[in-house]
Amino acid sequence: MEGFLQNYGFLLVTLLQQSLLAFSLYFPLMAGQLSLASPGFYALGGYIAAIMSTAPECTPLREKLGTGIYPLEWLAAGLISGVLALVIGISALRLRGIYLALATIAFVEILRVICLNLEITGGAIGIFDIPQLFAERWSYGLIFGPLLLLTLLFVYRLENSRTGRALKAIREDELAAGAMGIHTTYYKVLAFVIGAVLAGIVGAMSAPFLNTWNARQGTFDASISYLAYVLIGGSRSMWGPLLGAVLLASLPELLRPLKDARLIINGMVLVVASIYLPQGIVGALGRLKRCVVKNTSPMGGER
Amino acid sequence: MSVIIQADGLCRNFGGLQAVDSVSFSVNEGEIFGLIGPNGAGKTTLFNLITGLTPVSSGSFSYQGRAITGLPPHRIAGQGIARTFQNIRLFKGLSVLENVRISQHACTRTGLFSGILGLPASRREEREVEEKAWEILKLIGLSGRAAELAGNLAYGDQRRLEIGRALALQPKVLLLDEPAAGMNAAEKQSLTGFIREVRELFHVTMLLIEHHVPLVMGLCDRILVLHFGSMIALGDPAAVQQDQAVIEAYLGAE
Repeated sequence: MEGFLQNYGFLLVTLLQQSLLAFSLYFPLMAGQLSLASPGFYALGGYIAAIMSTAPECTPLREKLGTGIYPLEWLAAGLISGVLALVIGISALRLRGIYLALATIAFVEILRVICLNLEITGGAIGIFDIPQLFAERWSYGLIFGPLLLLTLLFVYRLENSRTGRALKAIREDELAAGAMGIHTTYYKVLAFVIGAVLAGIVGAMSAPFLNTWNARQGTFDASISYLAYVLIGGSRSMWGPLLGAVLLASLPELLRPLKDARLIINGMVLVVASIYLPQGIVGALGRLKRCVVKNTSPMGGER
Repeated sequence: MSVIIQADGLCRNFGGLQAVDSVSFSVNEGEIFGLIGPNGAGKTTLFNLITGLTPVSSGSFSYQGRAITGLPPHRIAGQGIARTFQNIRLFKGLSVLENVRISQHACTRTGLFSGILGLPASRREEREVEEKAWEILKLIGLSGRAAELAGNLAYGDQRRLEIGRALALQPKVLLLDEPAAGMNAAEKQSLTGFIREVRELFHVTMLLIEHHVPLVMGLCDRILVLHFGSMIALGDPAAVQQDQAVIEAYLGAE
């Protein structure tokens, strides 16, 4: 067990972390909004945590709180990400579809370039020697794990609540949703903010986990990875982002023996999955299940 | 009888096209108010103006004595004006039951956190939403297909579900945009009965756009005739049928 955690601890925690980031994209997608802003908020959250943990100005705070500084970092990262998302969301969510996606990519890029040039974020070198919360890599599962459980519970409850129904209605037909009394702007911004808060908290938890934090943390590549998790897992079910993240994030590790050829396989999986599994893996499994049920019971779907 | 909707000089132009041209009318509470006219007469545009989907160019309208011109669609719906669409706009990827649950949005108030935590007030509200949804499904005869995706229903059932979805909003005014479009004679007959039943049960005022003349004549208390965006007649079915301008609009002048 000890050896297993030594070897695979980092990977396991990464899977938890990537799943959480997939969910940060899933929230706006519940309302049909294709936002790729998550890496931006993730990077922001990481910087907030890294600065609070290393800046000399924060030394008295650290001495006073001890390890209590970490939850405070998560809180600060979530809060600041949320406020920023509110400001951005209100203006950006006027855009639809691919235009919103482009605007959010622009946001991620702007943030990256700013962080690359500011002194407080360590410029191109970034912030290093971030104090560790745990001695072992795998122990970070003790914070990412509960956060993922909490997120799953949150999504599960959300999908069957009034708010979740409003989001789904907007995804299905925004105009009809408005005519049915749903304040579409409010709910779109709400979903965007929830996703941003989650990404910010995950970033803050990741800064000590990764030990250093720099402008490479929030990039366009990451946007596309998270999107792939959700689309290939299935964007219509809460199990989609989870499954997609676990599969796709572990794929490079599983294919490690193939050396550089693994990147080709990785790319091929993405292409094949998007052609043959338009509803994602979870969507395909759902269809399969319905087929089986129909063939085994002559009454079909009657209740 | 009190006036529930009052329109004064409603205008809407799209570029150079005058889609609705200074239309004024009032609808009484409990009335079935017909809206007819040849294709492109501006009937659906008029519905879009009332429900806030299209902003008015000029003019105003009020609902229960309050001005509601310029309010966003969700606020207008929230005050009790529900509608169906000419080209059916159900939430096709969601279940039939979910469709009638969603439109109770405006009459419920559970917020994000009370819904997620399942606080007592939100649980009670959720039960009420559920009950009301089943009640509506029974009324429209779709309770046996509650779990089906709305997009998989037969055409006529989709039309009924759209009316059901609008009713779940507990409206005081219901706007039906060509509810009988694409239906056969028997279906039209049953729709007429259904609309009467809805009025009895829900005490709802209805505005109805329809091309099928017997259905309109049989159902409506009063009829407004539009032609190229202008009002050419307003009155009870018999009077409208005799109106010279209406005959000319539909059949052409002799």
